[in-house]
Amino acid sequence: MLPEIVDVVREVQLPLLAVLLLFGAVAKTTTGAAMSGLAVLLNERLRRPVTVASGLLEAVLAAGLLVLAGTPGGLARAGTAALFAVSVGVLLLARRRDPEAGCGCFGGLSRAPIGWRTLTRAGLLSVAALSTLGLDPTGWRVVTDPTATHAVVMGVELAVLAGVSPEPRELATRLLNREPCALRPVSRRRTMARLRSSDVWRTNRPVLLGTEPEDVWRHGCWRFLRYDGMRHGRRVDVVFAVRVGGRGRTAVRAVLVDRASGTVAASFGAVTTRPLQGPPRRLPRPRVAAKRDEAVRDAERQARGLRAAREHPAARPTGERETDTGQLA
Amino acid sequence: MSVMTGRGSDRRRFTAAVLGPDAVPEPLPLSDRVARGVVVDVTSYMLCLATTRGEERFLFERVTSFWKGDEADPTDLSPGDDAVVLCSHDGRLVAERVWAQPARATGVIVGVEGEELEIDPGHGRPRVPVVVPYRSSGRIGVRHPRLEPGYVFDAIGVWRAGAVWATRPATTQPPYPLHATPHRPPTLQYADTVSGIATWYDPVLGRSSHLDPRALANAAAYPAIDPVGHSEGCDRRTPCAPLPLLSTGATLRLRNDCTRDTTVVPVVDCAAADSWICDLCPTCGGQGAGRIASLTMTAFVALGGRLEDGCFNATVTVAQGEG
Repeated sequence: MLPEIVDVVREVQLPLLAVLLLFGAVAKTTTGAAMSGLAVLLNERLRRPVTVASGLLEAVLAAGLLVLAGTPGGLARAGTAALFAVSVGVLLLARRRDPEAGCGCFGGLSRAPIGWRTLTRAGLLSVAALSTLGLDPTGWRVVTDPTATHAVVMGVELAVLAGVSPEPRELATRLLNREPCALRPVSRRRTMARLRSSDVWRTNRPVLLGTEPEDVWRHGCWRFLRYDGMRHGRRVDVVFAVRVGGRGRTAVRAVLVDRASGTVAASFGAVTTRPLQGPPRRLPRPRVAAKRDEAVRDAERQARGLRAAREHPAARPTGERETDTGQLA
Repeated sequence: MSVMTGRGSDRRRFTAAVLGPDAVPEPLPLSDRVARGVVVDVTSYMLCLATTRGEERFLFERVTSFWKGDEADPTDLSPGDDAVVLCSHDGRLVAERVWAQPARATGVIVGVEGEELEIDPGHGRPRVPVVVPYRSSGRIGVRHPRLEPGYVFDAIGVWRAGAVWATRPATTQPPYPLHATPHRPPTLQYADTVSGIATWYDPVLGRSSHLDPRALANAAAYPAIDPVGHSEGCDRRTPCAPLPLLSTGATLRLRNDCTRDTTVVPVVDCAAADSWICDLCPTCGGQGAGRIASLTMTAFVALGGRLEDGCFNATVTVAQGEG
């Protein structure tokens, strides 16, 4: 039983190493992690070419682990072991040169300073590559012919690797803590998608004269789009405000501004801050209703209205009114 | 005087219609104490300046000081010089300080030839030739040890024969080239009020300051311009102060933390070069790092700044109008 499990553990290393190398290769060749890992030790001009070259080497080794068997396969496995062993040394040197530098193993994701986790991981992977020397099957055969034991071993090993890697933490931080909406760059396409899926857009669509905005600008969390429009025979500017963060459907406002007079003809989407009563399923009790009325009563305004009404000519007795009219005439 | 284009003021009006007038307050006019123009005549007791408002005369008193690359005398000023005048508190007639031919080169070095540098200020502005004369090379070299292409440069000097003759550094150069500048760590908390430093730039590059209305504008360039809707293209990086993204036409409430003067300025331009530099201002011992606005030369002087210092600690407020 035990020798079989050991064999499975050795076999699982092949696809695992290949996948890790491929991830590293893609990250190194596509993103610019200028000041990390090997690049710290190099001259300014050599940084980018060497990073790309190491990414390509990793891709070649990954392909070798997956498809080669026999002597060429053995070479690829030994090369992988040597690569990780050398990288331990390089990381130690880089850490001595610049304690703040990241390892750059997975491009821009590996920005955390090189610590014991990164060094342990490189060492473990080197040992894993050494353990595959002398195995018969290729990595691809292990992938296409898996057993339950393979899956369990793979799961345990992935958990161990995640434990000794700084990248999952970085990834979680990036996904969970997004920048505040006022600072977040957002593409125009995304704003347009959010605008066009909103009720405010559908309501105002008939007013618009064109489909593309005349002007687009940003104010913190809001992106504004101005369209030309025609409402009741008058030219209007239709200004939509689309919120960058927040919930999808409720975050669009609009105002219609009369072009000649500059006054706001209508506004949509702003949510009132006053508490609104729900559907009147049951009338409140008289005492409760009186209390609510009392809370919203504006004594000053009522007094003003009463005064205005009393001073109105219509409120005066008939005789006085006639005298007034006579005086005016 | 405002140089907000029709488009800018329209944007402000529409933003106010949606978010309320508090989000984009009305820009304030330039203080009466500041004038800028071309020197027509200068004597030991009076300066005659051609400005956009016509010809203006300023008297000198015992306390009046002059700057032309360094502290100077009235005799150092000559007709044809571009001059910025700060009047005394008592009245508009008496000059308190006069700067002649002030110039600034902020940007990344793109060419070096002996004493001459070529500076790219970013944002499609013309490249500025800079001369670091032997006389000030020590002073500049202390804070700009690498005068090589790719490194940033920020110095103040005087215009002479179409080039900026640098006389004093305006910042300490970062030890890495511009493209290797570290990214700003993610900001998790956002506040409407951001502290940092305000700098100045010259929208007219020292030319025709008596004709161009931009010379007397109370306005600012902003380092966090949203690229969408900014047709000129703004080659800025993420500035190190957590500034909200805005477009031209927005207005900033700005306070000089040294003098506690406040103003409201419209955003008229992209301050690409100021988003590349993350520095402190030593003038009055502030702690806020990062450039938050680049005022026009006259707006900077009106808010209590000294051109030769190059910066002051400032606080900017951009209300979101979330009502």
